[in-house]
Amino acid sequence: MNDDRPADRSAHSFPPAHAPAADPAPADPAQPAAARAGAAGAPAFLAVRLVLARQPLLVASFAEWREAARALLAYEIAPERVTWGSPHGGGDLFTSTPQTDLAQDAAMPAQAGAAPEGGADTAADAVAAGAPDVASLPPLPARTPRPTPHLPRSFMEMLQSAACCRVPDRWAFLYRVIWRWQLGQHDVQSPADEDGARLQAMVKAVRREEHDMHAYIRFRERPEEAGAPRFVAWYEPQHDVLPQVAKHFVNRMGKVSWMIATPDASVLWDGRTLHNAGPLVKGEEELEDGGEALWLTYYRSIFNPARLNTTVMQQHIQSHRWKNLPEGKIVPHMVSEAAMGARKIGQFQAVGQRRGTTIPIAPEAAQPDRQQPSKLDECRRCTLWEFATQAVPGIGPQQAQIMFVGEQPGDQEDLSGQPFIGPAGQLLDRVCANAGVDRETIYVTNAVKHFKWEPRGKRRLHKTPAQQEIEACHYWLDKELAQVNPTVIVALGATALKSVLRTANVTLRNSLGKPMRVGGRWVVTTYHPSYVLRVPSEEAKREAFNIMVDSLKLAHQLLERPLEEPDQQDRLI
Amino acid sequence: MELKDKLEILADAAKYDASCASSGAPKRDSVDKDGLGATTGMGICHSYTPDGRCVSLLKILLTNFCVYDCQYCVNRRSSNVPRARFTVDEVVKLTQDFYLRNYIDGLFLSSGIIQSSDYTMEQLVEVARRLREDHKFRGYIHLKTIPDADPRLIELAGKYADRLSVNIELPTQDSVTRLAPEKSVHTIKLAMGSIRTKLDEKDDHPKAPVFAPAGQSTQMIVGADASDDQTILNTAQTLYGSYKLKRVYYSAFSPIPQSPSSVPSAPPPLLREHRLYQADFLMRGYGFNAGEILPQSGNLALDIDPKLGWALANREHFPLDLNRADESMIARVPGIGLRSAKRLIDLRRLRRIRWEDLSRLRCSLKKLAPFVVVADYKPAQGMASSELLRRHLADAPEQMNLFPELQAA
Ligand code: SF4
Repeated sequence: MNDDRPADRSAHSFPPAHAPAADPAPADPAQPAAARAGAAGAPAFLAVRLVLARQPLLVASFAEWREAARALLAYEIAPERVTWGSPHGGGDLFTSTPQTDLAQDAAMPAQAGAAPEGGADTAADAVAAGAPDVASLPPLPARTPRPTPHLPRSFMEMLQSAACCRVPDRWAFLYRVIWRWQLGQHDVQSPADEDGARLQAMVKAVRREEHDMHAYIRFRERPEEAGAPRFVAWYEPQHDVLPQVAKHFVNRMGKVSWMIATPDASVLWDGRTLHNAGPLVKGEEELEDGGEALWLTYYRSIFNPARLNTTVMQQHIQSHRWKNLPEGKIVPHMVSEAAMGARKIGQFQAVGQRRGTTIPIAPEAAQPDRQQPSKLDECRRCTLWEFATQAVPGIGPQQAQIMFVGEQPGDQEDLSGQPFIGPAGQLLDRVCANAGVDRETIYVTNAVKHFKWEPRGKRRLHKTPAQQEIEACHYWLDKELAQVNPTVIVALGATALKSVLRTANVTLRNSLGKPMRVGGRWVVTTYHPSYVLRVPSEEAKREAFNIMVDSLKLAHQLLERPLEEPDQQDRLI
Repeated sequence: MELKDKLEILADAAKYDASCASSGAPKRDSVDKDGLGATTGMGICHSYTPDGRCVSLLKILLTNFCVYDCQYCVNRRSSNVPRARFTVDEVVKLTQDFYLRNYIDGLFLSSGIIQSSDYTMEQLVEVARRLREDHKFRGYIHLKTIPDADPRLIELAGKYADRLSVNIELPTQDSVTRLAPEKSVHTIKLAMGSIRTKLDEKDDHPKAPVFAPAGQSTQMIVGADASDDQTILNTAQTLYGSYKLKRVYYSAFSPIPQSPSSVPSAPPPLLREHRLYQADFLMRGYGFNAGEILPQSGNLALDIDPKLGWALANREHFPLDLNRADESMIARVPGIGLRSAKRLIDLRRLRRIRWEDLSRLRCSLKKLAPFVVVADYKPAQGMASSELLRRHLADAPEQMNLFPELQAA
């Protein structure tokens, strides 16, 4: 969920070029250096010498493990030969690294006392493990170390995440994974591989724990007089996720102070800096907090008893989480109430039992003021209306002498309710300018008034209207023609032509640029602007554009030409 | 009236809204800043109620007084319910208090229509404005848009809210006319269109002012009218395509106290709602067309999921060789999800896919067995008829996860 783990974001290769973040609170300086395989300051390849001496490698953090693993890989030490362990025995690195990373991320000096037992434990363990001093360890094999393999960052992040998973053999397992990787078995990161599946499962468990902690921590407010922290929470994480989770709450809470306590450690945010502390005694949860009562009220009321489905609820929140959630205590009651009868109606009982009111207002008075949709908007002559936003009527002077008829509104036109906006409209502007005709004097409309489209992914793809739809919509074009009564119609493209001539048996090619007399008007045919925009070759584009300009010029000239004048092109009177 | 009483009434009234997602907001944080709140882009569910729904937002109505008389709605003016109204400040404070305790990721505010559409919208916007400007609240805000409100108010709402929604509620114009006499599909579509236009502007001009970065969504009530699933899915498809919705939520009609006789007195099976969510996800996630999922009028099958239904009806595509097919086709195999499809493609670069891989990827082996060919497996010759397969593969009649989607959104 939260990928803001305090990861070494620059870790492109394994191991990274620069030294990994050292653990600045590594414990007691008196601790034998040999005990911590990858500890900062330890001589390079110490891990190798420890393994040769059949000593366990004790690592307390991902950074230490990475150091050690790099050395082992360099000398090709197979996983079977290495015994990994943690300074605290049980593989618990809680009090060391995470805090370290956290401390650095929050740019604060490490709190010396932050890991109260860490140092002592580590030293004790080290002694118990019988760590020899460096001098007595066998020397490194006399050969050049192998270059270290490169790991993709995503893989590196996966390893780092998996390292937060509290399983006893985490270090050994991770070493086996990268060992296999450098042998070329790259499917080791695939969930279809046995190790890969486990790796993914560990990552998933850690992510889930982070997510759960983001989601199910509940802060209680402390009284103002008590001072900082204003909000406190108790949580029992199952993996080592406190540092990354703390960051989440730093982002969230701004300058408000808070504290999260867990069985292993706690963090305190004073509004500016993050402080780490050891485990705290539980007990803060006894706090009185008025906010909690409101939350329970909300939780109860937002639930719909008619849909009782506890299985799903339980799937999402594992049962052990409920005990720390305030709402956990009221769930059983809610469930039994819902099961008992309140279930028939959706309303929460406490609300259902109250006296209600109807609102005394006459239906007419409730109608919102809205512009009545035009008659065109109510058109149901074909089915296109259903999928469109609105009908798009023509626009322009009611006495225009020239009328452009296009095909149908497009995506933009459908949203805005105006014809020819967007690229096609701009092209039309240029055509007018080139022909020396004032665009403002022209009435612009479409043969079909609703946008016809088909879904293509999340977009609407223009679809050419069928003859049937053209026919149906002619009703509206006729009205516009009667109203505006233009002298010349410029049909833009085949659909417009079919509409104006009221026949499907015409082609654009045969009538291009030839004036026709139809029903007492001139009709000039030209391309549709979107054809010009679409045609790929520059030359064809220019040619088509010029034809449009010529057509418009022709249209303009026709205004002066008496309709009676004989014309051999005149096939359709 | 006490705050607690109001909360009781106004949360109860809000629970019929299925939307709950808090995802899709741009990343924000409050480090070293005044005010409160962060968004990670993912959205977090902070709790689950015994109806299986997640709680990620404080979902309330500003008021449940309403002058409209929508027959499916508990707050319709002719309904005899307790009424309440929050002040703007109460909502602002409640949101912050809940947020500080980590109960919620933000606010989802809706309202009954009082006085006029504009007045109601102004109130909603004012809550968001106060949260954002006066209190520097950076959590998630989802505002329900009143369709008839002035577009300028909608624009303002988009300035403060992460997500806007306009609920269409019913899938056909006829049903709206009949059951929600004061509403109009026309104005609903126009409102959605104006939101999309604003979203487009922002996409085209990155410097344009912020506008509802988590997009818009809508809700359709299932089972309050006679519309079948095909109608519902077609409407959803139209809305997705036309208005770039992030989500369509489907809400099975809940019988309400003293229901009017114009709406059914029994709820539709919740499973129907679940199937619609599955079908919806096939459209959004897998690129299925509504017409592919339900070519004929009618409802989705309840005994099998829609993807299996599609595969059984389109046997000519199967069995599919997983070592050859492209990713989108692999994802169409019943029992293999989008993620597994991607992982299979990744794995294929390394080696040939075997039966065991499918089991490790936790694909549903029973479901996919009749539909795939892998290196060491192919389905038995003379494959069973679709009818037989269907009986074999049908879901056991049990209550299942009804909202796998709601958290994913
Ligand atoms: S396209 Fe034309 S005929 Fe068809 S519904 Fe729209 S306005 Fe009516």
